[in-house]
Amino acid sequence: MSSKVYTTESGEVVYGIVAEFDTPADVYHAAEQVRDAGYSKWDVHTPFPIHGMEDAMGVKRTILPMIIGVVGLTCAGLGFLMQWWMNGVDYQLTVQGKPFATWQAFVPITFELGILFSAFTAIIGMLFFNRLPQWYHPLLKKDRFLRVSDDRFMICIEAGDSNFDPDRTRALLEGAGGKHIDLVEE
Amino acid sequence: MSQISAAGQSHGVGADHPALRSSNISMAPGAGTGLKSAFIGLGVLGLAVVAIGWFKDSTHALASLHVGVITAITICLGATFFVLIFNLVNAGWVSTFKRQYENVMSLLPIVSLLMIPVFVLDYLKGGALFTWMSSAAHGDVILEKKAGFLNPMFFYARSAFYILLWAYITSTLRRLSLEQDRTGDKWLTAKARRTSAWAILVMALSASFAGFDWLMSIDFKFFSTMWGVYFFAGSAYVGTATMILILALLRRAGKMEGAVTSEHFHDLGKLLFSFTVFWAYIAFSQYFLIWYSGIPEETAFFEMRLKGAWPMVGAAVIISHFALPFVIMLFRGIKRNPTTIAFFAIWSIAAHVIDMFWVVRPVVHVANAADPVGWGMIWIDAGAVLGVLGVLGWLIVGKVTSGPLVAVNDPRLGESLDHRNYV
Repeated sequence: MSSKVYTTESGEVVYGIVAEFDTPADVYHAAEQVRDAGYSKWDVHTPFPIHGMEDAMGVKRTILPMIIGVVGLTCAGLGFLMQWWMNGVDYQLTVQGKPFATWQAFVPITFELGILFSAFTAIIGMLFFNRLPQWYHPLLKKDRFLRVSDDRFMICIEAGDSNFDPDRTRALLEGAGGKHIDLVEE
Repeated sequence: MSQISAAGQSHGVGADHPALRSSNISMAPGAGTGLKSAFIGLGVLGLAVVAIGWFKDSTHALASLHVGVITAITICLGATFFVLIFNLVNAGWVSTFKRQYENVMSLLPIVSLLMIPVFVLDYLKGGALFTWMSSAAHGDVILEKKAGFLNPMFFYARSAFYILLWAYITSTLRRLSLEQDRTGDKWLTAKARRTSAWAILVMALSASFAGFDWLMSIDFKFFSTMWGVYFFAGSAYVGTATMILILALLRRAGKMEGAVTSEHFHDLGKLLFSFTVFWAYIAFSQYFLIWYSGIPEETAFFEMRLKGAWPMVGAAVIISHFALPFVIMLFRGIKRNPTTIAFFAIWSIAAHVIDMFWVVRPVVHVANAADPVGWGMIWIDAGAVLGVLGVLGWLIVGKVTSGPLVAVNDPRLGESLDHRNYV
């Protein structure tokens, strides 16, 4: 990546800059400013979901549903093919005088396999896109960060962002009304 | 957000909200006259076609009329179900257009009365449609076992009972809603919920039995415990489609702006989509169990629908009622755009008509090996369906234009006006 690696005076690698806000409205409007400044690697941390935050952050819709749809339909089709091969070709067994390969009998398992693999894709895809699981997150080293599960709202802009600059990014967060602005070490 | 005063009077968001300004939620006097004339013209024309058809092939005309009448009844039953369920679960997002559901619901007893001409004509033809009433079925051993339930007296009494019951439930719920328009008493919402609590059980049972009596009994040897659900699934599906169509037309007429938005269409589209899937799920389940067990009385139902061109009609039902809308309506944009979702609403009503056609009509011509579908007189079916739906459309437009488009004192209007899908 083209982005620079910043280090602190003690030689630690900088993960990003974090700023605190007191109210959902403050953090919402600050997020709009960060979005408009063109940052992409950043996040907002809040004790509860804030409606409309995805617009304020300019987050694009996930492509996960498309992936789930494709995988689900593919696996349903493979499930059908599997039954057709097993019951119709490989190991023919007369059941209730029905033909060997009967689409009717294959529907429930085809359906279930479609659902099962859609669910797997949904959960694994969600974890993948959220980069989970992680052993730890640099923000958790900050004591003040624990308050985002209580009464504080935080924005963290990562040093890996191509727009990141220690002074300008700090100034942006200050201008947006951020308090207790601090560097986060990797 | 709505405010409720200590006196129990709901002031809601009232006329303060720009979307609820009077010009936005009421029709000008004489509005919809053109549409009304078009519908009643279609209705009279269609029914005239049925009358001509009656002299060409009376049994065919009777069955065609039945397809149309059942379609109209299922539309109103679907709307009734949704009013009950919305009342019961305190649904807020529907508040701005709940009145439209109630309008369609209130037509249920009137439309159900169209069963009377069907019964009379069937009686005149000696049980041509409800074959268990015909002299040919007399003495049939299966019918004799069922005679305690399937006898004309009990059958007509049951039908009358359903219609009276529906008239009571729908008029009670509508009266409570209109009273709230006048008085603004928010407790009427709670009262409607209490009524809905018992009414939904009664409606579920009576609608299932109406499905047994009016559709399943046509083939009196056939029975399916899934039939009530099949009837309900079709009703909920076509009821949702009708609602989307009404709202899309109102939006087109420049009304309900800000009161019914893409967000509402999105959720109605989700309902339409879910009932496409639900219908397919239970329709297949019904077929699957019958196919697996292979009991002759049951398989005969599907066997007679494999004759001649009937499999084509069956395939049309599967594709139009499930496969195609399922794939296309998966996409978010389709559901959020009033035009595309209105297209699928019309599509769904047509799919439901084909489904009812597939259920009712085989009984007429299936014995005729040359043309088991009766393509030669398909114009009678077209006339009957368009005729009855024309009458229903005329009634609906009359109801919609008769008062405010929004239940103006509904305590949950704020919730509906602020409604958003966050995903």
